[in-house]
Amino acid sequence: MRASEDQLRTWMISGLDGNAADHAALLRALVPLLHAFYRRRSVADEIEDLVQDTLIAVHTRRATYDRDRAFTAWLFAIARYKMIDHFRSNRRTVPIEGLEEILVAEGFQAASDARMDVDQLLDTLPAKQARMIRATQIDGMSVADAASADGIGQSDVKVSVHRGLKALAARLRGDVR
Amino acid sequence: MNTDQLIDQLAAKTRPVRRHAVGWRLGLGTAIGAAASTLLIAMTLGIRPDLGAAMHGFTFWMKWTYTISLAIGAIWATSRLARPDGGGLRRLWLLAIPVGLLASVGVVEMIRTPQSEWLAMWLGHSWKLCPWLVLTLAMPIFIGLLWSFRRLAPTRLRAAGAAAGLAAGAFSATVYCFHCPEVSALFVLTWYSLGILLAASFGALVGPRLLRW
Repeated sequence: MRASEDQLRTWMISGLDGNAADHAALLRALVPLLHAFYRRRSVADEIEDLVQDTLIAVHTRRATYDRDRAFTAWLFAIARYKMIDHFRSNRRTVPIEGLEEILVAEGFQAASDARMDVDQLLDTLPAKQARMIRATQIDGMSVADAASADGIGQSDVKVSVHRGLKALAARLRGDVR
Repeated sequence: MNTDQLIDQLAAKTRPVRRHAVGWRLGLGTAIGAAASTLLIAMTLGIRPDLGAAMHGFTFWMKWTYTISLAIGAIWATSRLARPDGGGLRRLWLLAIPVGLLASVGVVEMIRTPQSEWLAMWLGHSWKLCPWLVLTLAMPIFIGLLWSFRRLAPTRLRAAGAAAGLAAGAFSATVYCFHCPEVSALFVLTWYSLGILLAASFGALVGPRLLRW
């Protein structure tokens, strides 16, 4: 269960007022959010470093949070900066397809709404198709990993994903069967 | 170190943060830097001996109005760029107002002065030195702002460096008025502004390296 914007903001403001317990609660709640943020940007091996760096930044730079503004916008602006800084210092390049996503500010609300929409849509599919789409398209597992995790063949995974996506596409176009 | 330990360590150092902490921190950095620059002027260049009298005149306040309004605009931009989600800088065009006002005073000056004296008025006695002194005196203020930035979170480092340099230059020009006896608006518009722009360029140059966090 992920903490809501309101909850995070309440913790943040209480932390700014000097409440250490709420500050710790905030930092703990940020860990899964930041994991998800960095995982989607394919930096698998450095996620832990990035998450810790960002937590330190959130702590040391917390004076820059304006209590009247959205907390997650501030958080993801820091996370994005840390990631770009990380790429820059490692002289790595960011694939151009991902650039849009990196530059566009992350709407927390929109992202969680989208997640709920996806969950609802996946529930309409047969269980195996939904599971395979979730594994390969959302959690970012490889086909081979998904196959061995479920104890089925790789081609079975591919077919399930393909059929599932096709059914979802048809559903989104409006021709509900 | 694992993340849980890290969080415990960080939370153990939870100090209260006052509202408007960004403004306070920038203000403190600027004030300390400006005090150092003023001290530097007093010890090396010397305060102009007629400062008391000059403060009753028009030109002194014309110069201060110009440099102080640039300083306010620049520090506003710096405070926006000091936040990761600071927002746009569209209102920065307001800086054109003091420049335009000073330019119109310059035009009036030119109308009132015979053409043969225009060059002497424009160059004054110190045009060769003035921009460099403004740039030099901006350094303590820039260092003060670098200290401020140690707890701030700029994400556009070059822009933040330029804004901090602009602010340092404008405050430096403000304290330089304690020394500089020049009276012409055209002089100030050219040579003071050049010094301020040099400071801003310096800030833009070093920003990406020095403001990283």
